[in-house]
Amino acid sequence: MKQFAALLLVLALPLQAVAGDVAVVLRNGQGKPIADAVVTIAAPHSGPIRFAWPYRMAQQNLQFDPFVLVVPVGADVDFPNLDTVRHHVYSFSPAKTFELKLYGRDETRVVRFDKPGVVPLGCNIHDNMVAFIVVVDTPYAAKTDAAGQAVIHGVPAGPQPLRVWHPYLRAPGNAITLTVAVPRDGVVRQAVAGELRAPLEPRRMY
Amino acid sequence: MFRRLRTKLTVLYAGLFGAALLVISLSVYLAISANAERVVKSELEAGGAVFDRLWALRSAQLQAAAELLSRDFGFREAVASQDSATLRSALENLRQRSGIDLAFSVGLDGTVTASDGRDLGADGAAIAQAVQSQDAPSGVAMIGGHAYQAIATPILSPTLTGWVVFAQRMDQRQMSALEQLSAIPLSASVLDRRAGAWAPDSGPSSPAEDRPVRAFVDRSLGGQTGAGRLETADGAAIALVKPLPSITGPAASTVLLLRYPLALALAPYRLLLEIVVGIGLAGLALAFAGSWALSRSVTRPVSVLDDAVRRLQRGEAARVTVETNDEIGRLAESFNQMAEAIGQRERQITHLALHDSETDLPNRRALEQRLAALADEPHVMVAALSLDRFAEVRGVIGYELAAQLQRQLAERLADRAPGAMIGRLSSDTLGMIFHTTGPEAALAEAHALLRSLEAPMRLGEATTDVAVTIGLSGVGQARPGERPPLICAAIAVVQARAARQKAAVFDAAAYGDPAGNLSLMSQMLQAIEAGDITLHHQPKYDIRAARVGALEALVRWRHPVRGFLPPDLFIPLAEETGHIRPLTDFVLARAIDDQARMRAAGHTLDVSVNISGRLLSDPDFAEAALAATQRAEGRIWFEITETAVIDEPERALRHIERFAGAGIGVSIDDYGSGLSSLAYLREIRAEELKIDKAFVLGLADSRKNTLLVRSTIDLAHSLGMKVTAEGVETHEAFALLAGMGCDLAQGFLIERPMPLKDVLTFLGEDRAAIRRYG
Repeated sequence: MKQFAALLLVLALPLQAVAGDVAVVLRNGQGKPIADAVVTIAAPHSGPIRFAWPYRMAQQNLQFDPFVLVVPVGADVDFPNLDTVRHHVYSFSPAKTFELKLYGRDETRVVRFDKPGVVPLGCNIHDNMVAFIVVVDTPYAAKTDAAGQAVIHGVPAGPQPLRVWHPYLRAPGNAITLTVAVPRDGVVRQAVAGELRAPLEPRRMY
Repeated sequence: MFRRLRTKLTVLYAGLFGAALLVISLSVYLAISANAERVVKSELEAGGAVFDRLWALRSAQLQAAAELLSRDFGFREAVASQDSATLRSALENLRQRSGIDLAFSVGLDGTVTASDGRDLGADGAAIAQAVQSQDAPSGVAMIGGHAYQAIATPILSPTLTGWVVFAQRMDQRQMSALEQLSAIPLSASVLDRRAGAWAPDSGPSSPAEDRPVRAFVDRSLGGQTGAGRLETADGAAIALVKPLPSITGPAASTVLLLRYPLALALAPYRLLLEIVVGIGLAGLALAFAGSWALSRSVTRPVSVLDDAVRRLQRGEAARVTVETNDEIGRLAESFNQMAEAIGQRERQITHLALHDSETDLPNRRALEQRLAALADEPHVMVAALSLDRFAEVRGVIGYELAAQLQRQLAERLADRAPGAMIGRLSSDTLGMIFHTTGPEAALAEAHALLRSLEAPMRLGEATTDVAVTIGLSGVGQARPGERPPLICAAIAVVQARAARQKAAVFDAAAYGDPAGNLSLMSQMLQAIEAGDITLHHQPKYDIRAARVGALEALVRWRHPVRGFLPPDLFIPLAEETGHIRPLTDFVLARAIDDQARMRAAGHTLDVSVNISGRLLSDPDFAEAALAATQRAEGRIWFEITETAVIDEPERALRHIERFAGAGIGVSIDDYGSGLSSLAYLREIRAEELKIDKAFVLGLADSRKNTLLVRSTIDLAHSLGMKVTAEGVETHEAFALLAGMGCDLAQGFLIERPMPLKDVLTFLGEDRAAIRRYG
């Protein structure tokens, strides 16, 4: 199904207006790549949005996996518990407030995210478990990899607003916004500099 | 400074001891207070450490409570719900659960929601700002004017959604907890800076206390570390300031002030101090009493001696009781001996002063004292009993027996005249003071006494006859300024002897005024100047020529007070005092003048002047007399008493030779009255011899006289001298003298001595009628 859609997209390219790829590299001042940053371009689009990665937030080894998950609006996200212990996943975010009360191993819950926005996830049992689901309403979205790279394909040419967000990015709204000139064809490479602040770690109790 | 040795010693010793005690007490006090201060300081610092710990403990508790709250799912849900009422109730719930004073939340947008729903205003805004910049600050927060220990904790759900702040009031309860934990009962208080000044968090503050406290806090914050001394109106205290961290920033706006009153710190030592002071005072009192007693024992004998010396000075009895065997005791003993010796000597001196050393009879002074004592009593008489020819008697029997003689005489007197005081007036005179009824009675008593006194006296081996003359003088007669009675009595002895009597009462009239006569001499020169001393002339009648051819110039003194003074009175005095020279100069000059005046009146007469024997040997006088007679307008004669030349015969004779050589007539005056010497007649170149009136006056009475005068006239004629008879007062004598071949007659029969004026009258008459006296 997915493969089919991708194929469809590729076939459509020549038919549509010209578009280019945007390759973003996010590094900090020391040139160290920053992973797990969400890059979005709010370019006009049509049709349903689908991403190539699974809409899945697993709990494994007392951690959420992945740390940051980008999903389109209306996506149903699976919350499989791969641990032996139970988890109590919750979010008080305005985008999506929900609570998955204690569920056990190999149990999967599904939550639909029907509003764009950042949904911080926590586990009521395990304070150290933190993850973010970014609900977007644009197909032009990607997550930086370990090398800090994210590539968004087929972005309509012309100047487009580019937004880089990271939960710990030292910036207003944890996001850097800039305009990128998307070429009619080929790839535009955009380097973005950002700094992370230390996450608020839950302190050990006395 | 001190008039008494005892006071001086006492003050010195007690003062020294007291000073030592003071130094010791002060040292002890200083050591104790320094120690107490040190102990309190370390205790305060320990208290400070305890507070730190307490602070940390409370912080941890608050933190724990806050974190617990921040993790509470329901709370987080409430926060997420954005429902402030729910949030408030949740906060209140947790506040109560944790037992804290105040809880509030701070939203990401700075919204402050307090558990009790009140608006924290600017305090809340300040805390909101603090939590946003510091994440999880803790420290003192000022809320509503009160200090709180506050801690903020982020709310993670799981990302930061706000902060929860727990605040615990830093009130007296907390301070009490700290005070209880401390080892010493310190007082803790929290001060915060309000309007630039430090003020206590709660309760009224007194301005008097505030100022030093503020200054102390500022000083402590300014770098002075550790505990220090704080002086307030309530007294000194040791204090420690601990700056408390503020939730809003590093600048301390709140401090903890730990205080411990020094008085309290010294309280445990009070007893010790009191004992030290008590011992000091007791020691001082003992030292005072001891030095007093010691100095008393040392100085009392000295005081006694001091008193004794004063008594001795006043001449009182001064015997010191010897108490000790030390130096002072020996001194007192020596003093007693000395005082006794002085007393003995004094008595001896007094005895000597009032007694005759030879006879041990009371002396003249003793008699005078008795007389002074009897001055007011009537009928007191003084008798002077003089041994006749005492010098001779003493020469025979010696001093010892002479004294014994007088003693025996005094004993006899004492026997006969009981109650009389008997003493020795002078070497040969005893004095007696006795009571009687009057001079006549006294005289009778004296004669009665003489009979027993003149009884032969046995002296040693020999028996001696004693002759006594008694002079008497009444004491009552004496008036101030007059002669003392003892002198009068002595004079009365002389008067008695002169009258060849055995006893006489002093005759003041007969005695005259020798002292007044002595003063005459000083008046003589003035008298000459004033004309009180004049010349009278007595004619010398030439029997053969039956005329007056010569005069004798005689000096006369009419004293303005005493009247006519006889030459017999003042001539001898003038001779004694040397005044005879100016008197003679005056007489000679006046005689020459008068001679010149008589000559001017037509009478050329020889004038005789008496020259004192004293002047004959005086070369000055000889020259002066020779010079004076140069201008005489007639012959000048010098009448010389034969005895006068005996003093310095050689020189006197030489001068007489010169006078004769110069044409001055020389007469031998008063021939026959003295020890007339034939050799004298031979030596003197005299032209005239004047027979003493004693012979002439008695010429008619005795054949012997007649013979003496006749032979004297013959002798003078044989030696080539004229003869003048003095004292011719009767015609009978004149006739006899004329018959004997006497040349000149002088006396009242011819004429008395008279002044020049009368002489001139007389000479005028004389010329008119030639006199006949035979």
